[in-house]
Amino acid sequence: MTPIDTSAAPPLLELSGVRAGYGSIEVLHGVNLAVPAGSVVALLGPNGAGKTTTLGVACGLIEPTAGKVLMAGRDVTGVAPEELVRRGVVTIPEGRGIFPNLTVRENLQMVTYGGARLADVEATAYERFPRLGERRKQLAGTMSGGEQQMLAMARGLASNPALLFLDELSMGLAPLVVEELYGIVAQIARSGVSILVIEQFARTVLGVADYAAIMLNGLVRSVGRPADIEDELSAAYLGGQKP
Amino acid sequence: MLTIILTGISLAAIYAIAASGLVVTYTTTGTFNFAHGAIGMLAAYLYRQATASTDFGGWGWPVWLGLIFVVLFAAPAFGVVVERGVMRRLDGASEVVKVVVTVSLLLALVGLAVWQWPSVSSDPEKFLVGTSWEKFRFGDTTVTGHQIVTVCVALAVAIGLRLLLFRTRLGVAMRAVVDDRNLVRLNGAKPHRLAMFSWALGFSLAAVSGVLVAPERGLNQVQLTLLVVNAYAAAVVGRLRSLPMTFVGALVLGIGQSLAATKLIGVNIGWFSLADLQYAVSPVLLFFAMLFLPSERLRAGAAKRVRESWRLPSLRTAAWGALGFVVAVVAATDLIGADPDRAGLVTALSFALVALSLVPLTGMAGQISLAQMSFFGVGALIMSWIGDDGHTVAGLIVAIAVSAVVGGLVALPALRLTGLYLALGTAAFSLFMTRMVFKQTRLMPGEQVAVPGLDLGFATFRTNQAQITLLAIVFAAVGVFVIWLRGSSFGRRLTAMKDSPVACATLGLDLTRTKIAVFALSAAIAGLSGALVNRSVANSDFELLASMNVTMLAVVGGVGAVSGVLFGGLLLGVINKLGDVLFASNAVGIFEFVKIAVVDLQKVAPGFIGIGLGANPSGAATDIADTYRPVAESRPALSLAVGGPALAWVLARSGTINKWTFVAVLAVMVFGVIPAVPILLRPIPGGRASAAGAFAIASIVVTGAIDWETLTASNGMRVLWMLIACGAVARGVMAIHGQFPHTGAAPQPSPDLVGIDRPLDRSDAIEAERVLGLTEGVLRGAP
Ligand SMILES: Nc1ncnc2c1ncn2[C@@H]1O[C@H](COP(=O)(O)OP(=O)(O)OP(=O)(O)O)[C@@H](O)[C@H]1O
Ligand SMILES: [Mg+2]
Repeated sequence: MTPIDTSAAPPLLELSGVRAGYGSIEVLHGVNLAVPAGSVVALLGPNGAGKTTTLGVACGLIEPTAGKVLMAGRDVTGVAPEELVRRGVVTIPEGRGIFPNLTVRENLQMVTYGGARLADVEATAYERFPRLGERRKQLAGTMSGGEQQMLAMARGLASNPALLFLDELSMGLAPLVVEELYGIVAQIARSGVSILVIEQFARTVLGVADYAAIMLNGLVRSVGRPADIEDELSAAYLGGQKP
Repeated sequence: MLTIILTGISLAAIYAIAASGLVVTYTTTGTFNFAHGAIGMLAAYLYRQATASTDFGGWGWPVWLGLIFVVLFAAPAFGVVVERGVMRRLDGASEVVKVVVTVSLLLALVGLAVWQWPSVSSDPEKFLVGTSWEKFRFGDTTVTGHQIVTVCVALAVAIGLRLLLFRTRLGVAMRAVVDDRNLVRLNGAKPHRLAMFSWALGFSLAAVSGVLVAPERGLNQVQLTLLVVNAYAAAVVGRLRSLPMTFVGALVLGIGQSLAATKLIGVNIGWFSLADLQYAVSPVLLFFAMLFLPSERLRAGAAKRVRESWRLPSLRTAAWGALGFVVAVVAATDLIGADPDRAGLVTALSFALVALSLVPLTGMAGQISLAQMSFFGVGALIMSWIGDDGHTVAGLIVAIAVSAVVGGLVALPALRLTGLYLALGTAAFSLFMTRMVFKQTRLMPGEQVAVPGLDLGFATFRTNQAQITLLAIVFAAVGVFVIWLRGSSFGRRLTAMKDSPVACATLGLDLTRTKIAVFALSAAIAGLSGALVNRSVANSDFELLASMNVTMLAVVGGVGAVSGVLFGGLLLGVINKLGDVLFASNAVGIFEFVKIAVVDLQKVAPGFIGIGLGANPSGAATDIADTYRPVAESRPALSLAVGGPALAWVLARSGTINKWTFVAVLAVMVFGVIPAVPILLRPIPGGRASAAGAFAIASIVVTGAIDWETLTASNGMRVLWMLIACGAVARGVMAIHGQFPHTGAAPQPSPDLVGIDRPLDRSDAIEAERVLGLTEGVLRGAP
């Protein structure tokens, strides 16, 4: 197993010893994770492992009770999510990351709070997803699941991030749509953006990922190249806890 | 006819403006601002203050400057202050707390306005548009310039809001917050900024409506506030969400009111006069709008963050507490020489009993009511009819029964409603009762009735002393009953209903009867309190603001606990009555340099107490109880707590010490010494505990030796000195003892968390055994 090589430059995102939870229930018990600059890291694990919670801590929505969040070497623990967005950290949350009662265009208008101009956002979104352009006046909640996820991805594309977090893009979507979305992820990655992708099903993501991390019961159990990690993965899903 | 409709439309315009402000704030922040009407009222007063000529005590500003100042500066600035200072802390609080906090804001603002502008007259001719107050004639209809201005402003508001919400990024973001607050943050916008803007906008709209309505209705703090409260109905027609439907609701309200005002004069159904229906259109509309509201879907999901927590005393503790309470109250009043001076305590106990009616309803079942004083009124009314010629016992029984039935009826529409809607529905009921029912000459001639005192045959309750004894006993008995109820299967059903309606539904628990029963019970207790009032009562005693006051102080005191509502009720009584007695006649002394007569402070105080609730949703009683809990568990401290005051009482009764000295000794004992006893008894090295104890006893003796009666002539000064003495004694004891531990026990974590964030220990096991009613030692594994 090759550990992530972090000797060259500080990783763009680094969580060290992060503990966090909801109310009095601790979910993360000391998570360590790094996303090197320019790479795609896949965070895998069964339901309830704490992947979404980890992402919540990374994007600033959940304040950790212990541990640190570093971005490009700087401590950003406790910085508000809206601040992080302005510094180029974009998160597409679990479920559909859209506002169902706003139109497509209004959804894109919200993206401009991150600093982009509306004209640019619209241009990027409609160019990449012509279907959104046709539906700009439609309420986002009335579109199909795939179209909604495209709208969510459009935010990721248009706000020109340095660090992108994606939580279960594939949830509830047909394989073909998933493939299309991951095609875009690969394309974004090629432009030098560092990406942390969360997935349940390893196959969908291992093709794009440079590294994969497996999470179990609130801890990152192992990290490695996708090829090395396959066996462990099946053990994690089938056998649960590894000794 | 056309004139009537036009008048209705101009009225509708005002309601539309007010209601749209409510809706905007509610949708974007999730808090329904009950104080909306009070903001409008305050704005009208401020506007009048700014624009009235200096001869009339105003600042003499031109109209345009006054408008800009009030609508665009003062109101939004106040909105921002309220959001930052109060509302932001309410994130995650229960609906009851949110309702009570905005209700408190309403009461505080009304108090503030009454204090600041005890009486001002406005010259309606000059109020808004200077002298251009012409009437325009079209054929045989007339409209005033003011009406035209009003309608134009409403149209401008409608168009402006539409543009704001759909054409600007800010408006889009405000709508986005409704969908998903976290996603708004992930887009880079700040929800707090949006909330702040939305409060500012809501306050501005309230101000516009207040400034527009005042010239038509004149300046009166309570009436102006309630006038804008009518707009609640329009907002509910819009389901608190849709602005166009809100405007429709306002139109129905305005035209209905205008029609009722002209067409229903002299119309009667039987003896029931409809003349006053014009004032009751709003509650009636609200009521019907609610009947057609779709049932709220039960939402599962993460259980709400529970911030309130109460301990349930055992029945034995409750019984001892009840006995102690009665003895203490009777002994204390016995020291007050003249019977009329005891009136304050009668009022206080009477309020406490009404507040007690909220323990099952709000404390256990989590339902809010803003109509308790209406049930009180029903009880009082029935007692006055039936009890008039000596049948007071029958009167009492019928009063309780009828109140219970009325309460059950009110619960019917409430069955489908929860939280906020229930608060609105009961508020509507309360308005309907004061505006229609208690106004009927057949029911309450001159809007006033005399309620006779109870006559049991062997005992009559006519004097204040007798009345206090009676009320104390009734309170104690009902209190014990309520505590018993909490432990019964009915009480567990109520709590289940409060904690998770979803779980109840899935378990197949039918809550309909439970809900009706708890409403009936609560109304019966309030009615009982009304039947025992033993004085002349007026319609104004039952008005919405009075009910709001009771609910607020009950929640502030701690509505889950009998001691909490006692505290709240007494507070209300003290603020209403005792304060007058204590301070009004001699507001010399310290309160004079602050130049606020204490009597005025009383008007504002309760509202501000309520606003502070956000910090501690369990109420004040819990805090107090935490401080004194160790006392109850330590025998020496308990004997001092019982024996000390008893001894002082005997000394005072026999004239050895005077009454002010008695009060001072009691204060020093209760606040300075007794809480320290359990700490003094803890073994520490150095033997300083006995020195500290000696100091404590010496302090009590010295306090008793001072003649507080003649020390100073002002009651305010006496109270101040007593507070200083208490503080000094407490600090002295600690200082000598050598350590300064926290007086209270460490804050008890919620019992629900035992085993999760602290281990289960022996005391938990004992507690669990007691709660579950197991024989001792089962859980501890004792033989
Ligand atoms: N809002 C919440 N309140 C309380 N507990 C929560 C909350 N959200 C998540 N949890 C708990 O935290 C744990 C981890 O949840 P998380 O959503 O991080 O898992 P996950 O790995 O993303 O799972 P999935 O693959 O199903 O999305 C779970 O046990 C869950 O019950
Ligand atoms: Mg997840």
